Amino acid sequence: MHRSRAKSTLLTALALVLAVVWAFPVYWMLNSAFLPNVVLQSATPTFLPFGGSLDNLRAVATDPAFGQALTISLIVTITTVVAAIMIAFLGALAISRFRFRGRGSFVLALLLIQMLPAEGLFIAQYKMMSSLGLLNQAIGLAVLYTAAVVPFTIWMLRGFVAGVPADLEEAAMVDGLSRTRAFLKITFPLLAPGLVASAVYAFLQAWNEFTVALVIMTEEQSRTLPLWLRGFVQASASRETDWGQVMAASTLVAVPVIIFFLVVQGRMSSGLVGGAVKG
Amino acid sequence: MIRRLPIVALTSAALVLTACANGGDSSDAPAATSSTSNAGKTITLWLAGGDTPDELRTYLSDTFKAKTGATLKIEEQAWPDLVTKLTTSLPDAENTPDVVELGNTQSPTFTNVGAFLDISDQYDALGGSKLLQSFVDAGSVDGKKYALPYYFGSRYLFMRNDVWKEAGVNTPTTLDEFNAAVTKVAQGNPRHIKNFSGFFIGGQDWRNGISWIFANGGDLAKKENGQWVSTLSDPSSLKGLQQLQLIQKAASNAPADAKDQTPWLYINDADVITDADGKATGKTSLAAATIMAPGWAHWSIGDAAKKDGKVVREWNPEKFGTFVLPGNDGKPAPVFAGGSNIAISATSKNPELSKELMKIIFSEEYQKKLGGAGLGPANSDYVSSLGDDEFAKALIDSASNSKLTPAAPGWAAVEASMVLEEFFGKIEGATDLAALAKAYDAKITPMLNGK
Amino acid sequence: MTTGTTTAPTAPSAAPPQHRNRKRTNRLPLILIVPALVLLVAALGYPIGWQVVTSFREYGLLQQFGAPAPFVGLDNYVALVTDPYTWTVVVRSIVFCVVTAVVTVAIGGAMAVLMNALTTWPRVVLQVALLLAWAMPVVAAMTVWIWIVDWRRGLLNWSLVRLGVDGAEGHNWLAEPLSFFVVASVIIVWMSVPFVALSIYAGLTQVSTEVLEAAELDGATGIQRLRHIIVPIIAPVLSIVMLLQLIWDLRVFTQIKLLQDAGGVTNETNLLGTYVYQLGTGKGDFGTASAVSILILVLTIALSGYYVRSLMKEDV
Repeated sequence: MHRSRAKSTLLTALALVLAVVWAFPVYWMLNSAFLPNVVLQSATPTFLPFGGSLDNLRAVATDPAFGQALTISLIVTITTVVAAIMIAFLGALAISRFRFRGRGSFVLALLLIQMLPAEGLFIAQYKMMSSLGLLNQAIGLAVLYTAAVVPFTIWMLRGFVAGVPADLEEAAMVDGLSRTRAFLKITFPLLAPGLVASAVYAFLQAWNEFTVALVIMTEEQSRTLPLWLRGFVQASASRETDWGQVMAASTLVAVPVIIFFLVVQGRMSSGLVGGAVKG
Repeated sequence: MIRRLPIVALTSAALVLTACANGGDSSDAPAATSSTSNAGKTITLWLAGGDTPDELRTYLSDTFKAKTGATLKIEEQAWPDLVTKLTTSLPDAENTPDVVELGNTQSPTFTNVGAFLDISDQYDALGGSKLLQSFVDAGSVDGKKYALPYYFGSRYLFMRNDVWKEAGVNTPTTLDEFNAAVTKVAQGNPRHIKNFSGFFIGGQDWRNGISWIFANGGDLAKKENGQWVSTLSDPSSLKGLQQLQLIQKAASNAPADAKDQTPWLYINDADVITDADGKATGKTSLAAATIMAPGWAHWSIGDAAKKDGKVVREWNPEKFGTFVLPGNDGKPAPVFAGGSNIAISATSKNPELSKELMKIIFSEEYQKKLGGAGLGPANSDYVSSLGDDEFAKALIDSASNSKLTPAAPGWAAVEASMVLEEFFGKIEGATDLAALAKAYDAKITPMLNGK
Repeated sequence: MTTGTTTAPTAPSAAPPQHRNRKRTNRLPLILIVPALVLLVAALGYPIGWQVVTSFREYGLLQQFGAPAPFVGLDNYVALVTDPYTWTVVVRSIVFCVVTAVVTVAIGGAMAVLMNALTTWPRVVLQVALLLAWAMPVVAAMTVWIWIVDWRRGLLNWSLVRLGVDGAEGHNWLAEPLSFFVVASVIIVWMSVPFVALSIYAGLTQVSTEVLEAAELDGATGIQRLRHIIVPIIAPVLSIVMLLQLIWDLRVFTQIKLLQDAGGVTNETNLLGTYVYQLGTGKGDFGTASAVSILILVLTIALSGYYVRSLMKEDV
């Protein structure tokens, strides 16, 4: 008993140290968002934003372009996440629960697609979107993002589906449940953490993507948040880069992601998982 | 019959005069100046970075609308992404911007691939030979004009008057004096600052470094028998590089990998806001007595002060000063000219409206506004609109003899491949500069003529 | 019993027990993959095809603006392969990728195990910290990291000097390529660990606690439980995560590019990602850039071939 309490304290301490290390840059971003630019350039770091102000955040949040970029990013990203999870989930089911002709090739193709670097594709993607008239359209960008995210998501979900033995479903079916009900009641909750992880990954990819958005969303009013953020990181004839504003803008860009995770995490807690396994 | 002639003559004369009064371009399609038929049209102007202030942008939109009845849409592109966007959008007739601003170093490349409309017919009307010729050359092919100068910038020296005085060195008047002076200041180091530089120039900073090549009569490349050749190892270039090497060794303690970013950080003093007594309340960030920077850097140089609740830099003439890099021939040394060109997209569906916009941009009023905003106007007639404060004077002086990078079709590729950064970074430690320069000439020459 | 099935999730559990289901189940999976197929072909078919074709053509800015793009066969590839610089970049990228990926998965896996052993509140704190790090926009994250290692104003030097390491004052961490890559690796590990840790943790929650408790009662130590029960269950997730880290770290671009802008000598610190960018966006030589992309694809296959084959074998 003693040993495990000591062990528990040790582990907790370790967890806290790791948490501090990992969250430090985020803390610094927040700290900088409150400080004026000149202070940030100094040779002595300022750790706490005393004497700081909400000026940066206010200037950035009241920028009308922010609201617009936020809306576009939300539309593109949510569309991408929903579409990707649905499509990828079906695909993952197919390749891990069934055997069919062409499965091997499909799986291989998924893998190969991911191995091709995306940086060289933007020229062709532009031409394609331009000829389809989908430039500056949220739906066009969402399609490109979904396609970029699906191969990996299928792979990831496949791992989770494979980790849930089909025997559990079989056992439930022996107990009288239909295959679908067995799936929904037993397997699906066990996949919840995997779906969450995939959803968060898809969200982040779409939310933070830059290069494709740069060439597809050519007009100012169709900019996504990363493009909008870019506008702050610019020195010009009349001003140098205001890093305080860059950090404030970055903070605002990061906030929706955090909200998303908290929402998703709340819905699918491991309490569900524990329950399904024990039951 | 004979009595009617005068009436006929008068009427014809009146008609001709009215036609002329409508502008010398009445030979253009009437749609360009007919407000009603343009009401639904929009053309797009891409501006690079935040250099053109909002006031000027509003002026352009309002004037354009008033003159043509069509709408002008201005979109700002970030400098680092400009080339990417131009590459994808310019060839696409459905989505191309109609008029674009692009850097003077990028102009030769895009002009040579045919991205822009031939506007030789407009050239004289827009200013002709009064326009900054080096920029015009950057946007010309075989004498035809495609991209014209938009504004020019320049670079000059910012110094710490107080530190120079403490070191007992006078402001140099020739290049040789300059080389010696900054070395003396560095060695003197009156404030005993660690790693102090008399003149801070980053190892990889070629945009400032090439001033020494230019000042000694050398160049980065020249056209020989129709082909471009890299000339880093030419005797005059080498002379300049040797001077630069000495400076890097004796006067500058900048890191070998530093480029020409944010140089004002090294010359500014107190890092934090001065307290009520005006005393600096933090460790000083001063590391250099002199820096070389584009003219607009002056906004970031000075004492930190609070204005309207925001922290700004206020120029303090006792501490800070400017001077132009002097040449050895009584004229300012040729420095790298900053600035942009402006051009009409070859695939634009509104060439006539675009030409109207060009007219507005090159009009006296707009050119003077550019000057008023600290951006050197393309038309030399209006350069005085830059004003007469010390920054304007320094800008005009240093720009008078400025040079561009070679107008070779492959120049953008040379810059993208970072070979110049690489070369300049190796100068300080080189034992045989001539061999190093020759090696890099061999690397650069094949890139210059484009594919 | 349960161990039998949990160690072989890939056993032919899909074989339908009844005959009359066979015909129906054969069509169902095909229907399930149709959405994915349609999406991928529509959205990626043309771009990927274009890239493959362009790698066999001379395609520069001139061609982008309308000049014809002549087929040059393998010329682009030959030029690449005979250029020693290409091999320098390839070797650098492979070493960098393997080191970074291994470190990432090791740390991430360890964190996942830690999270599994924690009580609720510490675990949530750690998860939130990881999530915050993961959610941070790359530009902001890189700005902070670049500031941390800045030679003049950086936190790292400032801290080291205060700890007594005088030589650290004004030390430039990006000037030397090796130091540059260590910094890059640390940053990328920091950015990648959250995803790895959270994914593996998600996999760990699928491990039945009853089985673990039973094993503990039977006398199995923590390490033994780890090796014989936990790892086999999370093996699919673990290998996929490792594979993906390899793939991603091989082509890493944004972080390297931003670091190069901040310091260091570009051509001594180029990895494959920035190399493609330099050729494509920088020089406008899209033919060669496409060839490099295909080369990266081939390299990735070669590097991960072992994994891919074992994954495929498991299924078949």
